Amino acid sequence: MFKITIKGLLAHKFRFGMTALAVILGVAFLSGTLVLNDTISRTFDELFANVNEGTDASVRSRSKIDDQFSGTQRERIPGSLVSEIARVDPVAHQDGEAVVQGQLGIYAQMVDAEGDAIGSPGNGPPTFGFNWSPFDRLNPWTLVEYKGENSRAPRADNEIVIDKGSADEGKFRIGESIAVLTQAPSAQYTITGVVKFGDVDSPGGASAVLFTTAEVQRVAAAPDQFDSIAVAAASGVSQTELVDEIRAEIDETGIQVITGAELTKEDQDTIQESLSFFNTALLIFALVALFVCCFLIFNTFSIIVAQRVRELALLRAIGATGRQVLGSVLGEAVGVGVIASVIGVAAGVLLAAGLKAAFAGLGIDIPAGGTVLASRTIIVSLAVGIGVTFVSAVFPARRAARVPPIAAMRDVSIEGTGQSAVRIVSGLAVTALGVVALFVGLFASLDNAIALVGLGMVVIFLGVALLGPVIARPVSRVLGSRPVAGFSVVAGGLLAIASAAGAVALVIAVISRLVDGRAGVAVLLLVVVGLLVLACAGSVSMVIAALAAFRVEGELARENAVRNPKRTASTAAALMIGVALVALITVFAASTKKSISLQIDRAFRADYVINTKGGGFGGGFSPDLATEIRGLPDIAAASGLRFGAFEVDGSGKFLVSGDPGATNELFDLGPLDVSEFDALGPNQIAVSEKVANDKGLAVGDSLEVKFPVGGKREMDVGAIYEVGQREGLSDYFISLDAYQDLFPQQLDNQVYASLKPGVSAAAGRREIEPVLEAYPTADLQDQAEFKEAQEAQIDQIVNLIYALLALAVIIAGIGIANTLALSIVERTRELGLLRAVGMTRAQLKSTIRWEAVIISLLGTVLGLGLGLFFGWAIVEALKDQGISEFAPPGIQLSVIVLVALLLAIAAAYFPARRAAKLDVLKAISD
Amino acid sequence: MSSSPIVESRPASSAVAARAVHASKIYGSGEAEVRALDDVSVEFSQGAFTAIMGPSGSGKSTLLHCLAGLDRLTSGQVFLGDVEISAAKEKELTLIRRDRIGFVFQAYNLIPTLTAEENITLPMSLAGRKPKRARFDQVVNTVRLADRLSHRPSELSGGQQQRVAVARALLAQPDLVFADEPTGNLDSRSGAEILGFMQGAVRDLHQTIVMVTHDPNAAGYADRVVFLGDGAIVDEMVDPTAERVLDRMKSFGE
Repeated sequence: MFKITIKGLLAHKFRFGMTALAVILGVAFLSGTLVLNDTISRTFDELFANVNEGTDASVRSRSKIDDQFSGTQRERIPGSLVSEIARVDPVAHQDGEAVVQGQLGIYAQMVDAEGDAIGSPGNGPPTFGFNWSPFDRLNPWTLVEYKGENSRAPRADNEIVIDKGSADEGKFRIGESIAVLTQAPSAQYTITGVVKFGDVDSPGGASAVLFTTAEVQRVAAAPDQFDSIAVAAASGVSQTELVDEIRAEIDETGIQVITGAELTKEDQDTIQESLSFFNTALLIFALVALFVCCFLIFNTFSIIVAQRVRELALLRAIGATGRQVLGSVLGEAVGVGVIASVIGVAAGVLLAAGLKAAFAGLGIDIPAGGTVLASRTIIVSLAVGIGVTFVSAVFPARRAARVPPIAAMRDVSIEGTGQSAVRIVSGLAVTALGVVALFVGLFASLDNAIALVGLGMVVIFLGVALLGPVIARPVSRVLGSRPVAGFSVVAGGLLAIASAAGAVALVIAVISRLVDGRAGVAVLLLVVVGLLVLACAGSVSMVIAALAAFRVEGELARENAVRNPKRTASTAAALMIGVALVALITVFAASTKKSISLQIDRAFRADYVINTKGGGFGGGFSPDLATEIRGLPDIAAASGLRFGAFEVDGSGKFLVSGDPGATNELFDLGPLDVSEFDALGPNQIAVSEKVANDKGLAVGDSLEVKFPVGGKREMDVGAIYEVGQREGLSDYFISLDAYQDLFPQQLDNQVYASLKPGVSAAAGRREIEPVLEAYPTADLQDQAEFKEAQEAQIDQIVNLIYALLALAVIIAGIGIANTLALSIVERTRELGLLRAVGMTRAQLKSTIRWEAVIISLLGTVLGLGLGLFFGWAIVEALKDQGISEFAPPGIQLSVIVLVALLLAIAAAYFPARRAAKLDVLKAISD
Repeated sequence: MSSSPIVESRPASSAVAARAVHASKIYGSGEAEVRALDDVSVEFSQGAFTAIMGPSGSGKSTLLHCLAGLDRLTSGQVFLGDVEISAAKEKELTLIRRDRIGFVFQAYNLIPTLTAEENITLPMSLAGRKPKRARFDQVVNTVRLADRLSHRPSELSGGQQQRVAVARALLAQPDLVFADEPTGNLDSRSGAEILGFMQGAVRDLHQTIVMVTHDPNAAGYADRVVFLGDGAIVDEMVDPTAERVLDRMKSFGE
């Protein structure tokens, strides 16, 4: 039987090739994700190992707030601890001085000579500032010669040393004076040196400015304070011994002492955790692709088994057991799985590099050193790839094993109609089960709600796929009908015109770029032109196919699409999954945008907001900016807004902080009593109405809170306001005076400003803009621009998700191509007859294309339905998180349909060509 | 082999529906060369029912396929009326088949997803034309299918399926109907019925039919029989009967 398995594979290279291609894509994505993950992890692990290399003990405050977005915020410790620790016996010495270094980090953004910010503020790697350590063991930086000049450490408070990466980017020289933005008013510093981080120019792409200790403390408004103190042990002293000695010396409950090894481990774990979200997301998309692969593989093997019934029956008739037939079919599956998975793993390594480049292109720069291919990656990818293929082939193989020997003498039977009662009942039951799981996950606040939501969706997909054959026939008849064909003609026509016009416009642009000598851009544009030309050709094909649907070809295509409802349904189901997820994201994004837009309309009273370019949370502005703006003659009110993470009754929350009086004028939180809100004091907190109701709070009640600085404390409720998290803002608000005491870092995330009455918007802008020249990361936005910026941020994420889901959709497209190709093989005689009695090649191609369109539309309609349902359910579940509006966007959803139509045309390209090239005589006489 | 004499069709006065002139078809080359047709020249007159007979491998199917534009000659010419089929491009051939030729094959004559009526009108539908109601009824009544029009092929008997094929071939009043072993898959009663319809179509509807068969009984329905052997025409017989054809076949030493 083994020989038969091998021969089976070789005899059907094409169909197995297509199946293998789908598995390769899925496995490549999976292994690519794992490789990327490992590569990034190792880069960071090495980074932190290097940073902490010489540190044997680290001393810091116990008081901290952990939060997912801004990391851990820890209270600072007094500098006096340094001299205390220096007295500890086993501390190392350098030039007679104890190797104990107080460390303080700040936000520091370099500005180049053109006034542009170094790095990509908002989205890129962080921009750090540190104090320079004179101790070699505790200083990971190495001074290097730069452009022929020698480097030296900063001595005066206006001197700095910068990383080589930033020096290169800013085209800086040693001795040059540059502006550095911090939370203090912007200042000029002289570069006295350039440093490398081990062998690299800048660690993980982050920029670093190294100041004197005094200057960092001044900028941070933290006189004689440090974030932590690093200590090196004398030779022969272990890290634990050193830690024990330090603990004995400074016996304060608020101070924590850990070993260097523990610190490294902690840093590595923290970064792993913050990367895990990203990794999990990528893995989910890989699994979605593989899930879609399952349908394709299942379908391919089902069709092949159906086509080989005679052959299999003959095998049974001459003495093969059912088990042997089962083994033979499963053997083929394993063969495909092994070959495809091996290729997939190799492709994944390349893909990891591609993904990294793609993210970089989208402005998310992932630092990564050498590619890491862990044995775990190979094992998991092979196991998943082979497993998926095997499991998907089990059902078709079982069917093959049940073929009775007598079937060898009968005509090949057509598949059943798929309308059995068992199928309807089980399909409905599975779907219902999925819906229950989805709703429980969404509405019953459980710990692993997201996993349950995902599981619910998978089960619903399976349920609908089970029901597919029942509805495939009636729905496909409708989808193949003349009105739909009419729609396709119009849509395809418009698309053809639009893409042709786009291509022409771009060709003109390309020519002008070539004239300008910007060949790189021209090449990129030419690729787009190529895609547009393809889209145009596809649209024209679609119009032709849709026109054919008005004639007998349409009837043939429609009937072909429904003659094997199971086959059509499972082909469509693969596409359904991709479309449902795309539709879900589209609906969710549109609903979020609509909600944000309404919230901005509701609360935004200012004329302008100054936001960080790119809109990210990295960095912010010195409070000095708000002061400068406030001082402008035509400004009525201005206030910085700061965000922060803290704890209420032990659970993590977000708060917004601003100048209470001005905030009310600039960003209307809807205080119930304006005078109470305006008078919010340093030990008072304002809460939203919802929180007040949930916790039974009234003005004057006290609330247990915990902040990075000062740990746990009681705060009085000073005011209650309407617009909370449910409305897209925050449930907690404190004054900037309070923020100053409770958070280590003082950076305004946004600055709001309103103009005096009678001042025109243009005049206001003219006045504000010169101030912003010193703040290259600042972006001045009015209400409409602010909305756009918020939407652009959502769009960026959505586009990324689209790109990742594209793989699942492409695999579904391969599925359509595969099903058509296999069906054509089955219908060779029939096609021959059609050609013999006068069907032209063009008519035959149109017939096959229209059949593809019907299958694709079936998947799209089911997918859109499910996507809308999922979108609605999730929006409904997130009402309390500020997603108040369910807003399915008609245009985007129509675009999905158009893309599905083009996908069908593309999928039908090769099968249609194959069918049209068929030798008529051979087909009818075979 | 020297060129064979042109075999005249009967009646000699009537126009020629199709003809082959020095038609040769060679498969393979060198040692493996097979001459399926070897310089065949033959005419088929309008309104006649001609049977082509011969043993397996005599080239009768190849001749039919080349006459119908399904296969191409190695050398020589084939004409349908005045149109030279052997010079036509693929697209033209398709349209000629669709508009001017009717086909009845041994099996797989019908599209399983279409009803009997849709199968009958298929070539005209492909041309984007609608059949005249009267003609459609006439043809359907001739083959006695009026009560089976909405059935799918799987719901029809073998004989009924073949009647649908005949109706399809006749509907558009083609210049020529080619039938390739049309009764090969049928029992003798159904076969006789089909042959009767074809005979009737020639007599009453003035169709021209060329049929390939190896069954002397089937050939007995034709006006004329052309005998092929080793790719060449070896004999012909006018107003044949089954017995005479059988005798003639025996004399080939089959």
